[in-house]
Amino acid sequence: MTIRILVVDDHPIVRQGLKTLLEGHSGWQVIGEASDGAEALEKAGELNPDVMVLDVTMPRMNGLEACRLLRRQYPDLEILFVTQHDSPQMMREALEAGARGYVVKSNAARDLLAAVEAVSQHRVFTALNERTYPHVS
Amino acid sequence: MALRILLADDHEIVRRGLRALLEKHEGWEVCGEASDGREAVDKALQLKPDVVIVDIGMPNLNGLDTTRQLLQHDPHFKVIVLTITDSDQVIREALDAGARGFVLKSDAARDLVSAVEALQNKRMFFTPRVNDLVLAGFLEKGQKVSRNEAPKLPTLTAREREITQLLAEGNSSKEVASLLNLSTKTVETHRSNIMRKLSFHSIRDLVVYAIKNNLIQIELPPPPKSPTGPTAA
Repeated sequence: MTIRILVVDDHPIVRQGLKTLLEGHSGWQVIGEASDGAEALEKAGELNPDVMVLDVTMPRMNGLEACRLLRRQYPDLEILFVTQHDSPQMMREALEAGARGYVVKSNAARDLLAAVEAVSQHRVFTALNERTYPHVS
Repeated sequence: MALRILLADDHEIVRRGLRALLEKHEGWEVCGEASDGREAVDKALQLKPDVVIVDIGMPNLNGLDTTRQLLQHDPHFKVIVLTITDSDQVIREALDAGARGFVLKSDAARDLVSAVEALQNKRMFFTPRVNDLVLAGFLEKGQKVSRNEAPKLPTLTAREREITQLLAEGNSSKEVASLLNLSTKTVETHRSNIMRKLSFHSIRDLVVYAIKNNLIQIELPPPPKSPTGPTAA
């Protein structure tokens, strides 16, 4: 199945890493990149992705704000957070903002493909760091 | 002959990005990867890379202490420190630790290739955002304390810094002992010495110290959303 993905993170090197990982999956295509929430909104309108991989902490507009606006404007778009914040509170906030998935950056290489697979099929995927929150994952 | 580079960052996704960036450069090869400072030291001793790129905020052993340990083993190691902040203190500490390159993570896609090229040509590289005056001041005045710098606390030994980082990361003395191949009793002794030297009474004090001194790094959540006001009729 072809999945068209938009990658949003303020660090180009992280975007490159995510892109390399996602494009290793047959049929998946990274159709664009954005470096903050405001640019993510623009690109979502322009490129119409199936899945957006979104960071939380970014300049101009953070990922949570962007997620709330995206949810309203593009109800078919599935949003997956990939973030440094290994926290159940942040995860809850992300899901409340309308995200379908939540993956911790330190585990992204392990969890990202399964997460994109799940959210593209409109299923929820969340994974925190087991060592820190064994009861949540 | 290829220039061999070792990458050390706790995020595999960042290592993938760095590898993709560096391997585009003809004649460069990423010969190994490490996910924390301790592994970086082991791999560097084993693989003898030409350049080691270390993230400053790694678990178990941070990038600055990794740099110190590497250069203690072999002063010929060429280390580039990757950091998320270019505060005066971090720049000074990186220089003091013996790093020959200093690149902001946010600018790595632009600056890292230039940094590796500089080291390849036996030069140093510091990200353009580094304040020239800070650098000049540091090189001229050595360790002289600036007006804005916090008063110096008693110096911890390299081992004490390692143990401070591991305790601040939430490890128990027993876990620290296991990670460092020491007895729990030895770790407890180091722990008491650290607390006495710093006049600390709780692990909380130690965590604050570790954050302030860049032994560990934390990412703060974004500010809460602004409260929604009543809708106008």
